[in-house]
Amino acid sequence: MPSRRRRGLEGAWLGLLPLAGLTMLFLLPVIWMVTTSFQAGEKMFQLTTEWIPSVWHPENYPNALSRAKFPLYFFNSFVVSGLVMAGNLIFCTLAGYGLAKYRFPGDRFLLLVILSTLMLPLEVTLVPTFLIVHKFDWLNTYQGIAGPLLIDAFGVFLMRQFMLKIPSDYLEAARIDGAGELRILTRIIIPQCKPALAVLAIFAFRDSWDQFLWPLAIVSRDELRTYPLGLVRFGEDYGNPPTEQMAIAVLATIPVFLLFVILQRGLRSGFGLSGLKG
Amino acid sequence: MLWAFWLAFTSYDMVRSPRFVGLENFVSLSRDPIFTQALANTLVYIAGSTAVILAVALALALAINTRTRGARYCLSGIFLSNIMPIIAVCLVWRFLFHPHGLVNQLLSPFGFGRIDWLTSESLAMPAIIGVTVWRFAPYFMVIFLAALVNIPGEFYEAAAIDGASGLRRFRYITLPLLYPVMFFVVVVSALLCARIFLMPYIITGGGPGGATRVLSMLIYETGFSYMKMGRAAAISVVLFAIAMVFTLLQMRLFMRGEED
Repeated sequence: MPSRRRRGLEGAWLGLLPLAGLTMLFLLPVIWMVTTSFQAGEKMFQLTTEWIPSVWHPENYPNALSRAKFPLYFFNSFVVSGLVMAGNLIFCTLAGYGLAKYRFPGDRFLLLVILSTLMLPLEVTLVPTFLIVHKFDWLNTYQGIAGPLLIDAFGVFLMRQFMLKIPSDYLEAARIDGAGELRILTRIIIPQCKPALAVLAIFAFRDSWDQFLWPLAIVSRDELRTYPLGLVRFGEDYGNPPTEQMAIAVLATIPVFLLFVILQRGLRSGFGLSGLKG
Repeated sequence: MLWAFWLAFTSYDMVRSPRFVGLENFVSLSRDPIFTQALANTLVYIAGSTAVILAVALALALAINTRTRGARYCLSGIFLSNIMPIIAVCLVWRFLFHPHGLVNQLLSPFGFGRIDWLTSESLAMPAIIGVTVWRFAPYFMVIFLAALVNIPGEFYEAAAIDGASGLRRFRYITLPLLYPVMFFVVVVSALLCARIFLMPYIITGGGPGGATRVLSMLIYETGFSYMKMGRAAAISVVLFAIAMVFTLLQMRLFMRGEED
């Protein structure tokens, strides 16, 4: 019997081979980014890629950081993405709660209106949003960069769907006990929405961390550039070696990666993937 | 939003106040070969990316759905491409598509010569679509996985007892049960692709010869480089119309989930 079981195991691993190949295909560019960031500049365009650098160049990182104001750019990105994440957590929760748990005339119509306007991406509404922010005199400000991203249709919808599953009886019981709406929200609703909040937090942060076109349109002062703007400018200067661009790219990946690792559990149940646990 | 529609019928340079010009913006756009090319590029890009994303995401999900530990590691590994900042994705792939870059290195054992991906008018768009698939397929793979996990195992057991082969089980059980999810993936991915800006902007700069210039790039150039806000708003209306088709489809999906 043991031999048969082993063959079964080997079969399972053999079955994984094509999948492992596919995974490598997806991983190679990521690995390339990391090794290149430690590579000597002149080795960039050799005919064969040196996967493990013969000489490691960790100094690419401090060099890159000192050549442009990257610490400041990263700080700006953190401020904006933090604002956007907080804004989404607050506003999507409130809007989701209102739309999930209150019945009033026209609630369905309101849901339609909210979702269909919020769903239009910033790339489509670029011109009017720009002109509005311009009227507010918010060009070159943090609130200008973060403002249009503070609430998102997917977030509202996600929260609403999640809250619909919470039995309304709980809320009724709490109301009879004299709990205010805010208390119900913080004590009953929010603790039960943790997986949805994890998904919301992560995607709000990542989307804002990725945001390029919007800051490009409204930021002209160097001190307010977010890191993607800084990185593109950095790449346009011919003096700056690609290895150092990759060092910045690696640094930019770390915060999102960490957030995913920290919130992974919530993410998995939020996606309905709990059945996948090996 | 309504203001944007009104702006589309004006000439506005942000210095003087908007001047009403009627349909002039749209008429001159329809005669502008740069605009029609960008429109065609956008549609080709949306269709191409969405089709390939659908196929790749489904294939990946089926390959991973084996419930072994190895498969879970593969899932995490594949999902990394969705975590990397888009700007990093673009910069990395611009180097990978370099004539001496990794893509050509990997293809050379199969007898391909040195292909200049990004400066060839016929290859630049497929290259951008390739990067798009690499970036977004893992996300949709997760959505497919969530759906696959929910298919009751008894369906397959019953089919196996009836003597259905693996292929037939896929064709008659898995696929029909996945149709709603596939529809969802198509709509969401099309909406995602309609807004693409950074990939062509960084990887090819819209070139060569405008072969990868999409509508969002044209809006940015017209509005913010040439300060023709009225004209940019008119292009936005066209992009808006494309996005709206998919948004409405998506709304219907959401609402249908409601009535069940």
